[in-house]
Amino acid sequence: MTVTFASPRFYTRPGKIKESPGDFICLHCGALVCAEAALSGVRNRNHCPYCLSSRHLDQFEAGDRLSACKARMRPVGLTLKRIGKKYTGHAQGELMLVHRCEDCGKLSINRIAADDVAEAILALLEPSAGLDADTRARLVQAGVTPLDTAQIGLVRTCLFGIGSAALQEG
Amino acid sequence: MHALNMPTTNQGIVVRKTLNSYLIGFGEAHVECTLSTRLKKDPNADPVVVGDVVVWNEAAQITGVLPRRNRLSRRGAVPTPGAYAREQVIAANVDQVVPVFAAANPRPAWTLLDRTLVSAESADIPALVILTKLDLVEGRPEAEEIEAVAAEYRAIGYAVVLTSTVTGRGLDELNARLAGRLSALVGKSGTGKTSLLNALDPGLGARVQALSKATGKGRHTTTTSEIFALPSGGSLVDTPGIREFGLWDVDEDDLAWFFPEMRPYLGRCRFGLDCRHDEEPGCAIRKAVMDGRISPYRYQSYLKMRVEP
Ligand SMILES: Nc1nc2c(ncn2[C@@H]2O[C@H](COP(=O)(O)OP(=O)(O)OP(=O)(O)O)[C@@H](O)[C@H]2O)c(=O)[nH]1
Ligand SMILES: [Mg+2]
Ligand SMILES: [Zn+2]
Ligand SMILES: [Zn+2]
Ligand SMILES: [Zn+2]
Repeated sequence: MTVTFASPRFYTRPGKIKESPGDFICLHCGALVCAEAALSGVRNRNHCPYCLSSRHLDQFEAGDRLSACKARMRPVGLTLKRIGKKYTGHAQGELMLVHRCEDCGKLSINRIAADDVAEAILALLEPSAGLDADTRARLVQAGVTPLDTAQIGLVRTCLFGIGSAALQEG
Repeated sequence: MHALNMPTTNQGIVVRKTLNSYLIGFGEAHVECTLSTRLKKDPNADPVVVGDVVVWNEAAQITGVLPRRNRLSRRGAVPTPGAYAREQVIAANVDQVVPVFAAANPRPAWTLLDRTLVSAESADIPALVILTKLDLVEGRPEAEEIEAVAAEYRAIGYAVVLTSTVTGRGLDELNARLAGRLSALVGKSGTGKTSLLNALDPGLGARVQALSKATGKGRHTTTTSEIFALPSGGSLVDTPGIREFGLWDVDEDDLAWFFPEMRPYLGRCRFGLDCRHDEEPGCAIRKAVMDGRISPYRYQSYLKMRVEP
């Protein structure tokens, strides 16, 4: 029998949820990122609020062998999280970031933090619409639909509130 | 050390240690001793432990300890917050460290296993991993997980025996692996260490207690370390249950060496032997984890132990 060292440990996993990784220096833009939950509004601040880059760390999936990658994860798109843990582009929901690891290609969906720079998020709509076929296919297979430029009004509403879309267009 | 030159008639092995007294076995006989004044003043945390070969005088005082072949140590509990931790020697001169984990009640704590294995590696003592209470998970999905993880530890090179004192599973294999050696059982309270001992030698009748109904945890039934001779010719050190296994005297730069599956990659990282295998680019260990040749759980244990030895 060959052992792949990939057997999941569900039943025997340690009880505690991983704590926030603490303040960190962004691998991409070099900013010091404060992990304080009061500022970010999320318990596990995992990306830089300025450039939205993250790092492929075990906080994504405990025991995931790819978490040993630790390379830089760049934001590549946006999606909407609907109630019921489904991601889709066709309904109202929570705006989420799509990250892809620069090294191993792993994809992950992450919540936006309260102090993320809104313009940086908005600027992701274009790459989101133009995602390469492979990444798009992998996302769709996981039930995640990347947002399209046609949905700019929706994204503005999520970021700046109701009415902002009309204001910008008017 | 004058003790070494004394006649060997008053020489024996410490088989039980209680607060102020030591039971020494020599041949078929036993003698109860205390420590000499000199040894009482010994600055070492544990000058005499179970497994030590000692000599004693007419006043039944241990006067000397022969050099230890090895010792299994952990970081002792700190008596007052902020105080320095001390070395706690669990046993000396053992042939085998035997971490004991239950398949259920309590669930196995693999990070505690990794800590115990690292300590055994750093003391240069072979390890034999025992999983107990397999009867509690028989035929359930939990059993598959236990078997899969056991296979991973075997692939690293550790012997792993799955046992049950209820069904008798694994006891023959265990007996064979314990024969002719002194083995030290270590594990949390309630994992079934003493039950194993009783199963291997039904004549012993050592004290065993049901888990606490309120907490589901062991009740710390065994309170002293003691060596028991087995009918198979081997001996077992039964030890009180432990909660934690803090590393003692393990240099963080040597830590990866004590994970045998990491050894082949040491020196092959881009930063060579300076690599801490954390976030350094070109780390061969991290790559081996990603390629499925090292368990991500073991790697996480490694990283945790670096931060919190
Ligand atoms: N079902 C089942 N129960 C077991 C088995 N082995 C031990 N037990 C039970 O587990 C409980 C604790 O067993 P002990 O042998 O006292 O555990 P211990 O590791 O010596 O505990 P401490 O002395 O407190 O460190 C007892 O109720 C045992 O009957 C087993 O193989 N199967
Ligand atoms: Mg016991
Ligand atoms: Zn940044
Ligand atoms: Zn990666
Ligand atoms: Zn390395």
